[in-house]
Amino acid sequence: MAGVVPSGRQYVLLLLLLCGFGVVLFRLVALQVWQAAELSVKADRQHRKTVSLEGARGTIVDRHGKVLAMNVEVPSAFGVPTTLDSPTKTARVLAPVLHVRSEELERKLRQERSFVWLARKLDPEQGRRLERLSLDGVGVVMEGRRFYPKGPFLPHVLGFAGMDGEGLEGIEHRYESYLRGEKRMMVLQRDALGRSVFPTDMTERSPTPGHNLALTIDEVIQYITERELEDAVTRAQAKSGTMIVLDPRTGAVLAMAVSPRFDPNVVSNLSPDRWRNKALTDAYEPGSTLKAMMAAAAIEERVVKPNTMVFAEHGRMSVAKTVIHDHEKFGWLSFAQVIQKSSNIGAAKTGMVLGEQRLHRYLQAFGFGQKTGIDLPGEAVGLVKGLKDWGRRSVASISIGQEIGVTPIQMVSAMAALANEGVLMRPYVVSEIRSSEGQLLKQASPQVRQRVVSPETAHTVTKILEGVVTDGTGTKAAIPGFRVAGKTGTAQKIDSRTGGYSASRFVTSFTGYVPAENPRLAMIVVIDEPQGDAWGGTVAAPVFSRVGEQVLSYLGVGSQEPVTLAMAL
Amino acid sequence: MKILAVLLGLCLVFVFVWERVDMVRVGYQIERLKRDKTALERQRDELRVQFSTLSASGRIARVATKELGMGLPQQGQVVLVQFRPGSSQPVAVADAAPVEVRVAKNDLLARRY
Repeated sequence: MAGVVPSGRQYVLLLLLLCGFGVVLFRLVALQVWQAAELSVKADRQHRKTVSLEGARGTIVDRHGKVLAMNVEVPSAFGVPTTLDSPTKTARVLAPVLHVRSEELERKLRQERSFVWLARKLDPEQGRRLERLSLDGVGVVMEGRRFYPKGPFLPHVLGFAGMDGEGLEGIEHRYESYLRGEKRMMVLQRDALGRSVFPTDMTERSPTPGHNLALTIDEVIQYITERELEDAVTRAQAKSGTMIVLDPRTGAVLAMAVSPRFDPNVVSNLSPDRWRNKALTDAYEPGSTLKAMMAAAAIEERVVKPNTMVFAEHGRMSVAKTVIHDHEKFGWLSFAQVIQKSSNIGAAKTGMVLGEQRLHRYLQAFGFGQKTGIDLPGEAVGLVKGLKDWGRRSVASISIGQEIGVTPIQMVSAMAALANEGVLMRPYVVSEIRSSEGQLLKQASPQVRQRVVSPETAHTVTKILEGVVTDGTGTKAAIPGFRVAGKTGTAQKIDSRTGGYSASRFVTSFTGYVPAENPRLAMIVVIDEPQGDAWGGTVAAPVFSRVGEQVLSYLGVGSQEPVTLAMAL
Repeated sequence: MKILAVLLGLCLVFVFVWERVDMVRVGYQIERLKRDKTALERQRDELRVQFSTLSASGRIARVATKELGMGLPQQGQVVLVQFRPGSSQPVAVADAAPVEVRVAKNDLLARRY
């Protein structure tokens, strides 16, 4: 072996091997040393995937736990235009599945971008069809979509959430910070096939879902309210209607309906006017319903007693160069009859004796001209002029519900104060906030705003208001077997052309409580611009009666009238 | 002795490799279970929505009136009566003991007075 001398070929082979190893060594050094930083970033990008995860938005339920709003995972379709060979062909295949015009899809797919949304928050079936198509350059991801399973139910209170899950109206907006789920970035490792392996940090937790809200609203009471209100609005060919049902002892809102309703699942084509919660945002002249509060003020201040006689001027009285009329030519009336028969002249005279200062003070005490503090967005303050702006007729006008603007929630809260022995409560709609694990985070408790009148005055006014329903203008609000206290209201609307009162456009209303001796429900019905026989007693009072009877029966509140059975059961 | 050391070394290498492979396997398993969990949660949510839609008062009323021929009780047709325990005579609600029976007024019931 020692004497063997390598041949020329062997040298060449050795040289080639050395060169080969040299190239490999050079490449190794280049990859591992010179380009190490850049390549490790690239590798990380390929192996790791950062995903943005958002916890599901919280659920909204009624007071018995019935779901009113919740999040559901639904498919959204996206495209990767840079990978498409024929955007036209892809758009044509997708159009019937996504229900989007193929021209629009093609326009999106021709963009010089690596990601475009084609259609978001689709029905699950659309997602399945899309997956079956298995098109190159088109993918499906799951996104949370807000869903209102009962459709056009309680829409003005619930509000709705936008495409990105943010609350835009109603409770969805007011309680956004509680409902919204936590947003977190999470790093996952991927294998060569792009499958997720597990989070880089195994202790990393999923994003926390939003909190759940329980409302004071009762689904059955809300349904009865919506149905009866809608029926009345249709029959009266009215522009709109509003109804609120409160528990006067606590201020808890059991139902709040605005007609016409809308479906919060489909709001894109609606004008904001349709989703405005008129129960809070729209002030109207209350007309005669305000006489109930004026009466409470006058009795509390000992200006009158129920049997104080008032001369009603046979239906016509001049005040500050204007004339106040009654709907009938009344002579002498007791103060109780003034309210029961809704005499404008009797009420105006009483208001004038009460005086501007005291009337203004009681209006404020009953909560007019200020927000009730209800936990819903957009509440208006209404209109109560400052004393310095009162004219010579103001005290008479305000005593009969003119020259003042109130919202339905203010009026029903004031009426509920009379039902609640003179104590004004703050109305509220959210009773509980719980974490997604069920832990109680916040519980709403009834809040007293202030005492407005004494219990004795409240009882006296209740007796007078019972007379409205038994012998006065509100007989159609009567509920068989129950004592009802309430007041009708029929107010002319302002004519924007003339600046005076319209002769043909009215707001009719009825507000009251039942059972009068131990009130469980305080309600208001407001019907805007009914046609035909447009009186509070004929249009709004029957709705009060129908809703009251059904709700009392549903709540198991027994009639005070004795009942006999024809045969033993 | 040398052979034992080599075997021990090989065992350690094997355990190390097996552990890494098993970690990846468990990782895939976790991911699969997560996907299953997500799918089940999705299904649960869809069922909750379905339940909520089907149990809406509006739908129940529609089915009751249109499909089952039922009607809403008219004013005065729902009467609450209560019985004193041990007595077959109904009494006024205000005076009654807390046993309560809800009866829909029909031909069996006399008029109220």
